[in-house]
Amino acid sequence: MRSDVVRLYKVVHTWTGITAGMFLFIAFYAGSITVFAEPLARWVSSPAPVRLTALARADELIAHTLAVRPDAAKEFTLYLTDTEDVWTRLTWRKGKDDRTPWSAELSPAGEVRLAQSYRSSLSDFVDNIHRTAGIPGANDIGETIMGVVSAVYAVALVSGLIIVLPSLGKDLFALRIGANLKRMWLDAHNVVGVVSLPFHIVIALSAVVFCLHDQLYDALDYVVYDGRLKSVMAASNPFNAIKKDERAAPMLPVSALLDRVNAASPSFVPVEMRYRNAGLRGASVQVWGHDTRYMTRGKGFAVISPVTGEIANTDYLPGREGTWTGVVATFFALHFATFGGDVVRVCYFLLGIAGAFLFYSGNLLWIESRRRTERRNGGSVNQKTSTRLMSAATVGVCLGAICAISITIVAAKWLNGRVANVDVWHNGVYYAVFLASVLWSFLRGAAAASVELLWLAAIATAAIPFTSLFSWASPALGMQGSASMAALGVDLVALSAALCFVWMARSAAHRVEYGPADSVWAASHRQLQEGAR
Amino acid sequence: MNQIRRDWVSKTSAGAILGFSLAIGLAGLFAWLTPGGLATANKFQLVMWLIAPIWLTTLSLCFFFSSGMRAWLWLGGANLMAYAGLFACRLFLR
Repeated sequence: MRSDVVRLYKVVHTWTGITAGMFLFIAFYAGSITVFAEPLARWVSSPAPVRLTALARADELIAHTLAVRPDAAKEFTLYLTDTEDVWTRLTWRKGKDDRTPWSAELSPAGEVRLAQSYRSSLSDFVDNIHRTAGIPGANDIGETIMGVVSAVYAVALVSGLIIVLPSLGKDLFALRIGANLKRMWLDAHNVVGVVSLPFHIVIALSAVVFCLHDQLYDALDYVVYDGRLKSVMAASNPFNAIKKDERAAPMLPVSALLDRVNAASPSFVPVEMRYRNAGLRGASVQVWGHDTRYMTRGKGFAVISPVTGEIANTDYLPGREGTWTGVVATFFALHFATFGGDVVRVCYFLLGIAGAFLFYSGNLLWIESRRRTERRNGGSVNQKTSTRLMSAATVGVCLGAICAISITIVAAKWLNGRVANVDVWHNGVYYAVFLASVLWSFLRGAAAASVELLWLAAIATAAIPFTSLFSWASPALGMQGSASMAALGVDLVALSAALCFVWMARSAAHRVEYGPADSVWAASHRQLQEGAR
Repeated sequence: MNQIRRDWVSKTSAGAILGFSLAIGLAGLFAWLTPGGLATANKFQLVMWLIAPIWLTTLSLCFFFSSGMRAWLWLGGANLMAYAGLFACRLFLR
């Protein structure tokens, strides 16, 4: 590789990295947590069996609900599992944007009980932060911006690879820990970047698609499909085999439908059934579920007629997809870690955290590089405004997001069932903590704020297992801690994360007091002394 | 060998704009030329997925061009070929 090309790509890498870095830090940190969205949803919920109608009475529940609320027949969902994150057995809502869906349960005497309420959705909230990096406003604004950020991130990956290629063999596994801190950070940045490169390429490209697919489809429709893409999409609709027919017809029981799906794919584990036009001959049921034997798009589904029991579509049923949907399902799986079970999920969690480290260390290297130039030029050791601002922003945004997510998780458990619309509280708590952290970082300077925010992160994250402990120890609090292994896993991960933050806070504090004084990471009074010398 | 020119604006715009149109064109050729042609059910998703890798590979690598002018010429040429192919598909395969 010619050295002038490498120099050029160094500039590309610097500017793409510094623009995208902090967005990506938040997206990766929240994304790592989203890999375990289900355990998190279980952690925040109270135990299920006391609330849920037994699955064996599902047919009775459907019949009674449709008798009192015929409007539910248009579309309702029946949940099939008994884990804590299942908030009700049967639910329906008015349109996609209905924030207060109805739910139905059976009393032991067989009477139907209806309720309309806001749904607590902590894991959806963390997922939103993952998809938008917490950019406020409607989700599509944040996602469009993140689509552009992901494209920039893809360029940063290729340019980073081009920079390290010439010295790859020599430098890759050389982690030079020693007096030259910048060298050590660079070695760490390089080894993490190169080792997890395939993961990052997959994530960058798929994130561009997830965020910008509307725009990409519009471009394709205009250029390639000549305005006919809508009809091609309609021809691909998985419900096409179910013809509209408004004559009344009896439906097969839930268990019979599940047997048919099981016969079609024995390894498929259904978790929910979405009924449409129930009670009519043209009714359909979308059976959603998991299949660990295949690479799947999150959940897959089969479409079945509840009247005839015939499987109407398997385009999205894991292992039974056609060529085209099958290939695309692989791309989804590679982003969502929906293959290979828990081992892959743990790997994705660690790769995601490593990714967050990559962006954080990238910003640190930017700051450190600027500092060195200043010393070479023999200028004052007072750091430039740009490095001061960048270090304050890096600390405030990155650590602020960590603190905000932990505090939101804890608050969600304490507020669950005590406030009407918990989603408003998720947003309020998250943005209050995040903005306060950023503000704090700029007011206090990066050095002091890094230590203080790391301690806050440690305390906030430790509060997660302590919240569980409180809820078990004193039922009077009414929080009903979950006792499942999944929820316990959340507590254990949070506890070890809190210990990591303590360690990081202590070493950051050490650097503030004893590290090089001519650095943005030194205590401000020490920087002043150094400047006066 | 000549020193490589930086040409930030012209190279970046070539990669971003012509890279994108090239990606759309090549994805379109894939849609036409793979079994079943344009109207095959469910194929459109994979066609859309092809855009990002082609576009971003072009954008990432276009700084290798020795000048912005060359980037525009080469990528413009590639675009012409892709769209000529697309036009031919429309004419003969419809």
